[in-house]
Amino acid sequence: MSIVQVLFYIMAFIVIGSALFVAATKNLVRSIFMFFITLFALAGLYVLALADFVAITQVVIYVGGILVLILFAFMLSGRETLSILQQQKSKLVNVGKSPALLLATLFFVVMIYVVLKTDADNLIWVKQSITNKTAIKPNDLVTDNIGINLMTRYLLPFEAISVLLMIALVGAAHLSRKEVKE
Amino acid sequence: MNYYLTYIIVAVGLFSFSALFALFGVYAERKLSAFIQDRLGPTETGKFGSLQTFADIVKLVQKELITPAAADKLLFIMAPFIIFIAVYLGFAALPWAPGIVPSKINLGLYYIFAIISMETLGILMAGWGSNNKYSILGAMRSAAQIISYEIPAGFAIIAVVMIAQTLNLQDIGLQQGILSSEKAKFLGFYDVSHVGGILAWNIFRAPHLIVAFVIYFIASLAESNRAPFDIPEAESELVSGFHTEYSGLRFAFIFLAEYSMMFLVSMLGVILFLGAWNTPLPNIGPVQLANWTTGAAWGIFWVATKSLTLVGIQMWIRWTLPRLRVDQLMTLCWKVLAPLAFLCMLISGVWRIWLM
Repeated sequence: MSIVQVLFYIMAFIVIGSALFVAATKNLVRSIFMFFITLFALAGLYVLALADFVAITQVVIYVGGILVLILFAFMLSGRETLSILQQQKSKLVNVGKSPALLLATLFFVVMIYVVLKTDADNLIWVKQSITNKTAIKPNDLVTDNIGINLMTRYLLPFEAISVLLMIALVGAAHLSRKEVKE
Repeated sequence: MNYYLTYIIVAVGLFSFSALFALFGVYAERKLSAFIQDRLGPTETGKFGSLQTFADIVKLVQKELITPAAADKLLFIMAPFIIFIAVYLGFAALPWAPGIVPSKINLGLYYIFAIISMETLGILMAGWGSNNKYSILGAMRSAAQIISYEIPAGFAIIAVVMIAQTLNLQDIGLQQGILSSEKAKFLGFYDVSHVGGILAWNIFRAPHLIVAFVIYFIASLAESNRAPFDIPEAESELVSGFHTEYSGLRFAFIFLAEYSMMFLVSMLGVILFLGAWNTPLPNIGPVQLANWTTGAAWGIFWVATKSLTLVGIQMWIRWTLPRLRVDQLMTLCWKVLAPLAFLCMLISGVWRIWLM
């Protein structure tokens, strides 16, 4: 096995193991910190896939932003509220959870189906880009490519997302503002 | 295999550098604060008290590692290391001289920005793990402050990136001196490609970057939790914030992280705004000062000198200005620095298109 493969398996193992821990543990704060490890290992997998820009963006947005905000919500809510949350019924299967269980099983089936159906070594579009010499090599500048594509080919989705985010921001500002009482 | 050996040597070298710098930094800070407050500072240990910090380290290593009974043990023990590693990883992408950089990644700047944001997580971990009201308050203040100040800092950095057109720190450094392959223009008009020196630094190539530099510097003070933005530690109200419960070697790691962070943000500021490893001396006619003072050894010398100067200014500010209140802190960030940083970014775009 080459060193890249070894790294891949190590990181994939960390991702899956820590994700399982996140889902299974009862200590909610620890599960958030474990989620940080999941995201970090995932960023490592992105780097292996030559998507270094995506990897760093993931760290900036998830670790620097979302995880910190989740922790914020935790620390503002106090220990009593949290301990009530943690005293949930521990059974994996019970009636209250059946919709979630159904969804999870169906999603799992879909994932297994995708894994079995895809012939990852002989994908058509990968072969095409290799024959057309458009495949990205380790020393290529991925960032420039992303920037140019965002501003030309994918401009409309990009702008649509920015409008969506703007709406979310305005909504958040409106919700958090105190009503002026007269 | 030699490859990997070099990596390990470089990593160990950077670690020992940050440790040595922390030792020196603590001593310098104590002497500087003594000078500013008209005291003498440490005098007893060694000549001029120069062995004081070594004695401190020996004391810290001997101390018992106390873990509070109600603490979340795992988080409590891991937090100082995560805080330090977050800062330490940032050093991997900083260039020291032409051709000398621990890791040649073309996203260096973005990488450092991402890695620094990890420190917040470590601080929150320490605050929560300690299970102490003061620690949690300190950690939350710290996180709020770091997240807020990332925005003006980020836009000040983007202003530079728009001028430099690259995220590779080595390239950003290269553009600001005589080794540059593209034209460097002083204030956007005079061609100084072969004069170099202080005239080719980013802040003089595009003078609005002086404003961006000030914004970045203020924000970097906030991100390393230094006075006047030290409300997360606020000795007079929160004991010492998120690291109240730490003792011995763990406390030493938090301290090490703080000083490494000071150097990291200063060095990043030097690379982005103050000419990286380029000499401040220009070529004047036959006196080729810039050509004589450019090279690997000179590069390390200049980058270290400039960074240490900025660290010195950080210390000077700490012992001069009083601490800001929380609301003043947020007002400064959102109503003053953020709009100014946006303006800088806008000017950068126009500057790049019309004047460069």
